[in-house]
Amino acid sequence: MNGWAAQTLALLAPRRAALFRHGPAGGGVRPLVAAAAGGGFAAGLFWASRRVLLHFLGVADIGDLLACRLLAMVFAVCFALLLFSAVLTALGRLYLAGDLPLLHALPVPRHRLFGARFLDTVLESSWMVVAFTLPVFAAYGVVFRAGWGYALVTAAAIALLSLIACALGAFAVLAGVYLLPAARLRSAVLAAGGLLFVSLYIAVRLLRPEQLVDPEAFETLFAYVETLRAPSAPALPSSWAAEAVEASLRGKPQAAALPLGLLASLAAALVALLFPAADRFYFDGFSRSQTARERRIRRRRNLPLPGFLPGPAAALAAKEIRSFLRDPGQWTQLFLIAGLLVIYLYNFGVLPLERSPIQTGLLQNLFCFLNLGLALFVLTAVTARFAYPAVSLEREAFWIVRSAPLSIASFLRIKFAIYCLPLLVLTEILIVGTNLLLRVGPFMMALSTLTVLCAVPGIVALGVGLGAAYPDFKAENPGQAVTGFGGLLFMTLAAAFIAAVLALLAGPVHRIVLAGLHGAPLSPGVRLWAAAACGGVLLLGGLAVVLPLSFGARRLARAPL
Amino acid sequence: MIELDRVSKRFGRRPAVDRLSLTVGRGEIFGFIGPNGAGKTTTLRMLGGILAPDEGEIRIAGIPLARFPEEAKRRLGFIPDRPFLYEKLSAWEFLEFVARLRGVPPAAFGGRAQALLAEFSLSAHADEPIASFSHGMKQRLATAAALIHEPEALIVDEPLVGLDPRGVLRLKDLFRRLAAGGMTIFLSTHSLQVAEELCPRIGVIHRGRLIATGSPPELRRRAGEDLAGLEAAFLALTAEEDGGGSAAEERR
Repeated sequence: MNGWAAQTLALLAPRRAALFRHGPAGGGVRPLVAAAAGGGFAAGLFWASRRVLLHFLGVADIGDLLACRLLAMVFAVCFALLLFSAVLTALGRLYLAGDLPLLHALPVPRHRLFGARFLDTVLESSWMVVAFTLPVFAAYGVVFRAGWGYALVTAAAIALLSLIACALGAFAVLAGVYLLPAARLRSAVLAAGGLLFVSLYIAVRLLRPEQLVDPEAFETLFAYVETLRAPSAPALPSSWAAEAVEASLRGKPQAAALPLGLLASLAAALVALLFPAADRFYFDGFSRSQTARERRIRRRRNLPLPGFLPGPAAALAAKEIRSFLRDPGQWTQLFLIAGLLVIYLYNFGVLPLERSPIQTGLLQNLFCFLNLGLALFVLTAVTARFAYPAVSLEREAFWIVRSAPLSIASFLRIKFAIYCLPLLVLTEILIVGTNLLLRVGPFMMALSTLTVLCAVPGIVALGVGLGAAYPDFKAENPGQAVTGFGGLLFMTLAAAFIAAVLALLAGPVHRIVLAGLHGAPLSPGVRLWAAAACGGVLLLGGLAVVLPLSFGARRLARAPL
Repeated sequence: MIELDRVSKRFGRRPAVDRLSLTVGRGEIFGFIGPNGAGKTTTLRMLGGILAPDEGEIRIAGIPLARFPEEAKRRLGFIPDRPFLYEKLSAWEFLEFVARLRGVPPAAFGGRAQALLAEFSLSAHADEPIASFSHGMKQRLATAAALIHEPEALIVDEPLVGLDPRGVLRLKDLFRRLAAGGMTIFLSTHSLQVAEELCPRIGVIHRGRLIATGSPPELRRRAGEDLAGLEAAFLALTAEEDGGGSAAEERR
């Protein structure tokens, strides 16, 4: 083995060791559960992709075109994700990783260090995108009955596309650290990525893609076919990859040679240019990123907190809000929530209720009731992202709370209150907004807003309590904190809680709505049933607040720091 | 002021602290020394209310820490060995956070914060995020935060690690002034020179057990040899417990 390869392998050795020692150290059933979940997801994606492709191919004349256009879209999205992931990973591996000071002190040529980190970036930034798209490509292969040629061409196209994305990402990062310090560049990329994703998501939804399968919209078929036939961004590497894979799908692997050649030559040219550029600029940028001037924080900017809050509550609320607003990894998630809110309300706005064979009044109330469950599930997801990791995000600074004259129970109650209010407002906006769009009556409006009022504290307390019971003070981000057993338990219990609330209310609500539609009076039995159901929801909501918080406090008090 | 009564703590089957009994009086600076892994940090974490003992009782100003943790902690300041702080806050905001958590009246906070930041040479960095601070600056800020509520006792784990010589001198001077004002200081250190210089009374912990307490001259006498300094006495005492040879052999 020559010196270059040996040194590169030596530089990658800690990473390799961490990768292979990580899994078995956890032991037990966790790797099996993770493998089962991954396998299940891949199988589901394969099944869904196969269904969509078979459906497309069943459409006369344009089925083939649709499948190929979808392939081009898959490659375009893949390339965008690879680029985004490459920029973030390259920033982390080349400028922000904790072991870099140690490595830069070693007598290793800079281009070798860069080379090892670049290889690491290629693997780290592309494995997830590749893993997620494999079932889709497998479905194409099965549906089109493609042979080994297809598999080889697809593998080559994906590998070259990953290499191109990483080289472009590395170029962007090499240049970017000259404009902004690495940590702030990462924040800027995260913010821009979040905003871009939400904008695209909203734009695609507002295009109403469901109209494409609406028979009434078929008068635009010819214009539509013309659009499908038009080439899309022929200069993009993703289009070359799609072209190569499409040729191999149609059994013409020789036609894949030109686009594959284009991909390979671009990848080679980029890598050939990257190394001299890195030799010239990498260390300089690394050095600059460590000596960046720190920005100052304006003193005594009062946060709009209620004056009646006791000291510890105000202290924790102010700390939480400031930390949140200064962490782009956190506040960029607000873009996603805003996007989710817009799409959620829009979906209810375009429901074709008047074309349903079911009586509109009954349907409105049915949708309103089902929407209760849906909104609470959305809340569960948002709680998992924000409230569940609230304790874990104290990280090693949790000693400050532990040594303060504040009980763990009070600490959790304050955390709960901090997250409960905004999440309650969010869910009420969802419910009231959708109810207005559905034009439901006063009874359903009151029922759904009051049910949300009872259920939201329960779900948020479940999140905060279980997050405290199973904290992960080593988690680098909130998403990581929620991936453990506690997160799974929270999602399961929250789903059970929502199901129980809906089950309690379903019977009496159905009777009351029917009576209302028919103008019939309510029997004393129904009134009693309704009162018992409301009492049950109140009791359940109360228990969901008290039990998880006290369980969390007990476990957290014993948790090692 | 600080009492430990047969306090024990186990990690799994391994005893980290074993039936430790100790009393430290008001205004006293008590040094806690011992080899790596002897149980110093575990003891200090139990004193700070961060770790619960498995057995025994800790009392702060006569208040049992386990039964009335808030009351007892109100009288304590705690400085850990590794100053993990909230990196997104500025030094000023961090002090404000700790002050509110510890019930410092808002009217008193501004003056105290400014005085402490000046004391620890952090005034110029008051509005910078803690993420940009060096280890020594974080250590100084953690010390300032531990004093913001004017505690009756200070628990300090390795207070001088990461400080520059000027910082070490100033902190030693501050500890002497605080003790002279009536504050009890319980500090652990690896530096025997610091312990000898700063602490009129020292406790030696080894394998979780308190093997000796006394003034530096008393510890030297207790080691039973004609030893010149605390370092030799420390080596002799811990070697004795290990069933090893003399201090001179240990030093070789």
